[in-house]
Amino acid sequence: MDDAPFSVSEFITYLNQTLEYSYPSVVLEGEVASFKVNQGKWVFFDLKDDNASLGCFLPVWDFRTELVDGMKVRLRGVPKVTQWGKFSFTVKEVIPVGQGSIKKAFDLLKERLTKEGLFDPAKKRPVDIEKIKTIGVISSTQAAGYADFIKIANERWGGLKIQVAHTGVQGLGAADQIIRALAYLNEQGAADVIAIIRGGGSADDLAVFNDEKLVRAIAASRIPVITGIGHEVDESLADLAADIKASTPSNAAQFLTRDRRAEIKNIKAKVASAKQKILSEISTLHTLNSNNIETIKRQIFSRLDSELEKVRSLKRTLERLNPDLILKQGYSIISGKLAPGSTIKIESHDVLATAIVKSISQKE
Amino acid sequence: MSSTTTNKSTNSKAAEKSLADKIETLNAQIDWFYGDDFTLADASKKYKESLGLADEIEKDLENLKNEIEIIDRDFTK
Repeated sequence: MDDAPFSVSEFITYLNQTLEYSYPSVVLEGEVASFKVNQGKWVFFDLKDDNASLGCFLPVWDFRTELVDGMKVRLRGVPKVTQWGKFSFTVKEVIPVGQGSIKKAFDLLKERLTKEGLFDPAKKRPVDIEKIKTIGVISSTQAAGYADFIKIANERWGGLKIQVAHTGVQGLGAADQIIRALAYLNEQGAADVIAIIRGGGSADDLAVFNDEKLVRAIAASRIPVITGIGHEVDESLADLAADIKASTPSNAAQFLTRDRRAEIKNIKAKVASAKQKILSEISTLHTLNSNNIETIKRQIFSRLDSELEKVRSLKRTLERLNPDLILKQGYSIISGKLAPGSTIKIESHDVLATAIVKSISQKE
Repeated sequence: MSSTTTNKSTNSKAAEKSLADKIETLNAQIDWFYGDDFTLADASKKYKESLGLADEIEKDLENLKNEIEIIDRDFTK
């Protein structure tokens, strides 16, 4: 008892310094019990397992999910002794773990944020891929989903700038990293669209994308956000808050890039259409010329027919005036002087005769 | 901010712009075939030009690369 005594306050401060030094960041897992929110500002609950229980505390503004008693959670925080001497665990981050807890938290938070209008389809902004020059990507560069995104993007199109913010994409701390990356890309303002990419995983792996602060950051992003998280069947609150939800990282890359093969096909089709146009014009001209030739031929033949008819008509007239025809009708041609005693010649249809005029008298 | 470029593109924005220009030019050339100025006398020459440009665009498209930049920043802090 010869040691210099601490004051109670000094001792608690000393204890907390020792705890902070020994346990600067502790991750715990357990079941939530006695969950309550006091005065709308402070969240209290116990974290327990079969044999022990630990009082936990966090300010409501650090609370980023929905909790109810019985949920299994993972916490990151620091142990602390309060000024009243009570041992407590100050929570910095909490995420539900296990499929049942994640689903429950998801449903509760989805309901609350939907009521706030955070997922309102009217707020979704379209993305014109023709105008995209720069894509901001938030992902882990070590992740398979990131590799898929880059592979598909490179296969499909080129000439794009892809700015990659390397972050964690699962577990405690990942949500804050993604939020910082979102803020950074928004501050820089170079990206036309931001893609949040993460390949498939368990419900626990993907739980980070149900973090309330992250969901709000996505909804508040000035730059449109597309998510490509997990597989087609997975749905996160980040997906609901994003402007576009792609089903997978590959699908996100497909959505944001034009298809160079389709573009080449399109260009070839355009040139082929020009060729077709030329052939069509030639065909039209050929038909037109053929028609003109036919018309001219018809006009020539018509004119010929007309002229032929005229000739035939003249011929018929001439034939009617043919003396032989008249003689055949019984007439005769008399030549010589018509005077008594003179000799005249008579030509009938079939004979020639010579006669002497006996007398002449005038017709009455 | 400093950054590291891991996959520097051989075809930069300028190439992309040039590609866009070429596609625009090709579209204008194709439009000519359907416009009032079309004549069969000029069509063959115009078609050869379009065909040549289309080949160029195809090569450009096949060779165009993306530029990937990993942002040199620690987002854990």
